[in-house]
Amino acid sequence: MADGGTMFFSVNGLSKHFGGIHAVENLSFTLERGEILGLIGPNGSGKTTTINMVTGALRPTGGTIVVEGSDMAHSPAHLFARRGVARTFQVPRLFRRMTVLENLIVPALSDYAERRSTAEERARGVLQFLKLGHLANQYARALSGGQQKLLELGRALMLKPRLLLLDEPFAGVHPRLLEEIIDHIKSLNRDGHTIVLVDHNLEAIQSVVTRVMVMARGQKIADGNVAEVLQNPDVVRAYTGTRTSH
Amino acid sequence: MLHLSFTRWSQAVLLIVALLLPLGMGPYWIHVGAIAWYYALLAASWALLAGYAGQFSFAHVAFAALGGYASALCAGQLGFSLPVAIITAILLAAVIGALIGALVLRLSGPYLALFTLAISEIFRLMLVAEEDVTRGMLGLPVPGLFTGKSDIPYYYLGLALVVLALVAMNGLLATRVGLFLRAIREDEGAARASGVDTTRYKILVFVVTSVIAAIAGIYYGHFIGILTPNIAILPEMGLVIAMAVIGGIESLPGAVIGAVVVFLLSETLRSYGEWRFVLMGLALILVQRFAQNGLFPVLESLGRRRQERRAAIPSVGGPSNG
Repeated sequence: MADGGTMFFSVNGLSKHFGGIHAVENLSFTLERGEILGLIGPNGSGKTTTINMVTGALRPTGGTIVVEGSDMAHSPAHLFARRGVARTFQVPRLFRRMTVLENLIVPALSDYAERRSTAEERARGVLQFLKLGHLANQYARALSGGQQKLLELGRALMLKPRLLLLDEPFAGVHPRLLEEIIDHIKSLNRDGHTIVLVDHNLEAIQSVVTRVMVMARGQKIADGNVAEVLQNPDVVRAYTGTRTSH
Repeated sequence: MLHLSFTRWSQAVLLIVALLLPLGMGPYWIHVGAIAWYYALLAASWALLAGYAGQFSFAHVAFAALGGYASALCAGQLGFSLPVAIITAILLAAVIGALIGALVLRLSGPYLALFTLAISEIFRLMLVAEEDVTRGMLGLPVPGLFTGKSDIPYYYLGLALVVLALVAMNGLLATRVGLFLRAIREDEGAARASGVDTTRYKILVFVVTSVIAAIAGIYYGHFIGILTPNIAILPEMGLVIAMAVIGGIESLPGAVIGAVVVFLLSETLRSYGEWRFVLMGLALILVQRFAQNGLFPVLESLGRRRQERRAAIPSVGGPSNG
């Protein structure tokens, strides 16, 4: 249950087991409205599994995912999206043989109250914001890697998200576009969006977030201020490959 | 002057040709044309299911059989009037389509294909085995829809059904459902993450296409006058797929044209016996190699380019006086 303050998203004792493999174990954290959290950790630490669970793409083995007071741990992905929990993927998963504009209209129309004309107007606004307006009628498959990441961000924005989960938005992006993506994320956060940012690019993450959570082997090993967390011996050990004390 | 796109223009011409054809054809070719509409209904609805929504079902001919047999049994053994028998068969197909859809559409790719193949075979074998009800391979007599011996009323009924089905399916595709179906085809996970209830729309399209397949089966049964379980054999499903793929799996009119061309070709080449199927297979391979989206989209694209070239040529002698 939300605490009645600004906290609106909480994960409690979340676990995901694939047979004998414990991909995520007893993970708990909360997010306050308007917060921007960096989620980092070495490969295989359970970051993407966590993102998949808190967006309904994977059903947890145990634990709760509370969004504005409702436990959604066993809800399907489309209900998370309708509740404003939007995501991007590590490798962009666009509707490749649909136009850029159509890619944006799909999430808007998943809300039955939204009319096509309104959806199209909003989509053009998002394209302007992302500086992709000139590509509106191109097929999504024709875009460059960086443009595809931006379009996926735009698709998430069309859900009018309360929480944005960005899975590796900086990976494989041209340095010039990287700055552009960072600016967009900062601007979205200034506008009040709550954001969870998963990436390996610590430099880029530090330029955007104030709080960072570190995972290793499916567990949370640190959570707090960026500078302090990055000095944490457990975090250093996790990144240098030494076994942690857990 | 009325300015039509090449697609609309070509469809209008083809419809006029289809309307006028019986005037110049003998009874044999009118009969063949009437059967071609059966395949056109199946190929177009399968194209909606597979080409637009990305759901590769092998149970499509089983739904045609379900419709045909249900209507025949309701009209024959249960003594229903023909309209009531037909409506009952359509409703039955919708209900069974929804049940099977809910059961199988959580599967995807090869699993869905295998599951629907198994369902189709189970249904066909039931038709063979339940001789007391279906008369098995002896065939179930089906009352005709029209009096008289001419096939012309069936030809026009079949054509009307094809046009109505195309209008209905295009209407569906023009709504947000059409957009969702294409999104599901492209990436179901991404569609779900975009707020689309993918299971609901997959079941919806399965029901719609199952009902159209059932209507095709009802039409065929009442036209031919006898139904055997062979209506649902795997080669029939293969033929429907080949028709849709050759015409254009992502184009409903393309699938209709594919069905008509393939069926007429198969009749023309009848004297070659089994070799005609070899030729069909060869045609399918060539289309897949050189025109993956089928022949109709290629013709559409050529026609559009020609239209654009003509539009780009400046008119000589100033504006027309009328």
